Amino acid sequence: MSFFAGVYLLTKKELKDLFSTPLIYVLTALFSLIIGWLFFNYLILSKDLTRLSIAQAIVNPIFGNMHFLFIFLSPLITMKVFSEEKKNQTLDLLFRSQIRPLQIIVTKILSSLMASIFMISLTLIFPIILWMSGYKEVGVFVTSYVGLALTLLCYTSVGVFASSLTENQILSAVISFCLLLGLMLLVMSSNASANPLIGEILSYLSVPYHYEPFVRGMIRSFDLIYVGSFVSFFIYLTSLSLESRNW
Amino acid sequence: MQDAICLTNVSKDYPGIKALKNVTFSVKKGSIHGFLGPNGAGKTSALKIMAGLLPPSEGKIEILGLDPKKAKERVGFLPETPPLYHNMLVRDYLEFVASINGVSRTRLKDALAETLKKCSLESVKDRLIGNLSKGFKQRVGIAQALIHCPELVILDEPTVGLDPVAIQDIRDLILSLGKERTVLFSSHQLYEVGLLCEEITVINKGEIIHTGPIAEIQKKLQTGQSLKIELSNWRPELKEELLRTFAIESLALSQGKEGMILNVVAKKQEDLRQSLSLFLIQKGCQLYSLVEEKMELEEIFNHLTNSSLEAK
Repeated sequence: MSFFAGVYLLTKKELKDLFSTPLIYVLTALFSLIIGWLFFNYLILSKDLTRLSIAQAIVNPIFGNMHFLFIFLSPLITMKVFSEEKKNQTLDLLFRSQIRPLQIIVTKILSSLMASIFMISLTLIFPIILWMSGYKEVGVFVTSYVGLALTLLCYTSVGVFASSLTENQILSAVISFCLLLGLMLLVMSSNASANPLIGEILSYLSVPYHYEPFVRGMIRSFDLIYVGSFVSFFIYLTSLSLESRNW
Repeated sequence: MQDAICLTNVSKDYPGIKALKNVTFSVKKGSIHGFLGPNGAGKTSALKIMAGLLPPSEGKIEILGLDPKKAKERVGFLPETPPLYHNMLVRDYLEFVASINGVSRTRLKDALAETLKKCSLESVKDRLIGNLSKGFKQRVGIAQALIHCPELVILDEPTVGLDPVAIQDIRDLILSLGKERTVLFSSHQLYEVGLLCEEITVINKGEIIHTGPIAEIQKKLQTGQSLKIELSNWRPELKEELLRTFAIESLALSQGKEGMILNVVAKKQEDLRQSLSLFLIQKGCQLYSLVEEKMELEEIFNHLTNSSLEAK
């Protein structure tokens, strides 16, 4: 079985699973409520902040908030991907099949990312509202959504790794949340560091450092390399964690 | 006959525990083989190693002449807990399992229909697995092990926790499977193993205590013929006379419903039925029955596991 045929087969099943449970709809409703309310507030506030552009007054903060909300939401989306398989003993079913472990991990990340993208897809109403109000700079929205999708890819890979560690979904979500929070706090540590080199390294390692340029309308090659390396690293950790069942 | 499974000096260590110690046994192709042992004996570890899910710490394993990892596609495995997705329909689940096991689209429909029929799942094929009874869930578990038409089927305690009707159904299914492929199944229900298999392997505390045909084990453990005689007009002095006349290992007397019951075990492998019955009739006893007793599987198992403990 080819790599993509296996991934397609599993992704189809995973998405069916994800969208047949109420969790994803509850999370989407909650996310839409919070982010919609924030957008409305930024829109009202932007009338008073005349010195700031629309991008500075609305787009940047709204994407900053979306990113922040997903530090809580990503662990909830990914918490059951491996935990439930372990609990139901279905992981052995996959491992005994022609599907390779890498295909299983990629599928889990991909399907969780698709669920996250489904959630943020509802916010496409924001650029439409701004466009209808006369704001025609679509580019910044495109780069922001690309940046958010790549950031969610990173967060999903962390969540999938956390889920591979335990049978308990709650514990998996807590581990994932702690890891994501730790990654975010790296930025603060870098600001507090007296050594500029260490500060720079810590900044580089944190996800928000690579997300910000996208929101400002920039796509930098090393940000893409960072995302690629980050996801590959967590895929490797997940495969080690799954392999440890045999130790 | 070629062996479907061949384990040579297989050991499995977990941190602080030696689950399997130099396990050596083989399963003949086309047979139904019982894998017996009390809880915690190492059955599941051994079966998982054979199914290619666990690597052994030491030893050599050949499944259908191949390494277990390479033979995975030719082996169907039902773990102790059936690996089921409770939010899927039976049909969708079996289609999914068939697809990930490489069953082609053209073959899928036939394979599904065949498996549903074999496992009597046609009536529930459009139901959610989570809503099925335990017996049906177990059948779905067996169906997932058969959907890709494996040559060898390994079942880990397939009847555990089921009601008597479901147990009988699963036994019938195992018997029908045995007609066309090799079946290895574990159980601690000795009566069940006796019904389904001709050959067994007994494991206790990670060690193989015995492997081979049930009849051979019975023969090996029983020193001489064992007879149960029900009679009346018994006189106590006959006991001495019997012990003097025949080569008898032990003679026990007990009160039966219609008279006395005599349990006689001969010293040698010779048939005492004719001479003993003639002797008793000549002495004026009235015989109601004379039955040769075979050692029950339960006794064999107890005997084997106890002697393995005593050896330590």
